[in-house]
Amino acid sequence: MIGYLNLILRLTIWFLLTADLSLANIIIGVCVALLIPRGYTSPGALKDWLRTLGEVLVAVPQAYFEAVEIMLRPHRYEDVTRERVKPQRSPGLIFLDIFLITFTPKTIVLKYREEGWYDVHRILRRPRS
Amino acid sequence: MNLILIIMLAILLIPLYEAWQDDNIWQKVLAFSSIASKTSIMILIVSILRDDWMIGVVGVIILSVGNAALMLLAHIIKRLNDL
Amino acid sequence: MINTLSYVCIGIGLFFWVWGTWPLVGDRSVLFKLHSLSVADTLGSMSIVVGLLLKIPREWPLLLLAIISLAIWNTVLGYVLAYCSSSKETP
Repeated sequence: MIGYLNLILRLTIWFLLTADLSLANIIIGVCVALLIPRGYTSPGALKDWLRTLGEVLVAVPQAYFEAVEIMLRPHRYEDVTRERVKPQRSPGLIFLDIFLITFTPKTIVLKYREEGWYDVHRILRRPRS
Repeated sequence: MNLILIIMLAILLIPLYEAWQDDNIWQKVLAFSSIASKTSIMILIVSILRDDWMIGVVGVIILSVGNAALMLLAHIIKRLNDL
Repeated sequence: MINTLSYVCIGIGLFFWVWGTWPLVGDRSVLFKLHSLSVADTLGSMSIVVGLLLKIPREWPLLLLAIISLAIWNTVLGYVLAYCSSSKETP
């Protein structure tokens, strides 16, 4: 099932790049998408993928909201916290998680540790007590 | 549209100044990454200003292969610092 | 109407650019500047491209690709820069 998602992603990029929906182009696109070697990915659950992709869509307005927030009220202090990785994540899902955290302006992932932690750098309004 | 381009050029001076005056290598890399994404957006604006979509295609390609070189550079600098 | 909306989007993007790029000159840590740069370069540029998209909807596939790749590349670059510049302090 994840293989289909991978294929759909490649085809979407192909069609966006060429902007051409003629039959020949569709055939070329499908061939290219099938021929590009795919690394072995341990498949995560489809439900996890769908939920994370949904979170990406939600993250865009949230990122704008946070941007306006740090403009109106300056955040002058910084801090490094740790967050636990949700259990049983495949590498692709971990990549999406890191993307989600880093995309919002207040938080940046510093480092992913193999033991199951992210080091998250965030900015705060007042110093940590 | 001309006004937008002039404002963008003015904003572009800020990271240029920063890259010139700061000696810390990471601050320089940060300034250069900012310059890279700002100029590629400017390419898109210019393409619309001149109504020449070929320039725009170049801008989109730069955006999508984008900052890979800067990432490699960052890794090399990190390795050099570790030595 | 749509023209005005596109200028509003570009205006917001330009404001984000100014606001997020200005802290670069200051004397803060690299990570703090990275936070404000992610406002400027990712969110501001996305809003500018959306403004352009409203102006020329004819070229939507490429502009959509531009928005997606802008978001992904800038975010990942932010992560890589944060990782590389901070790894010395936390071995």
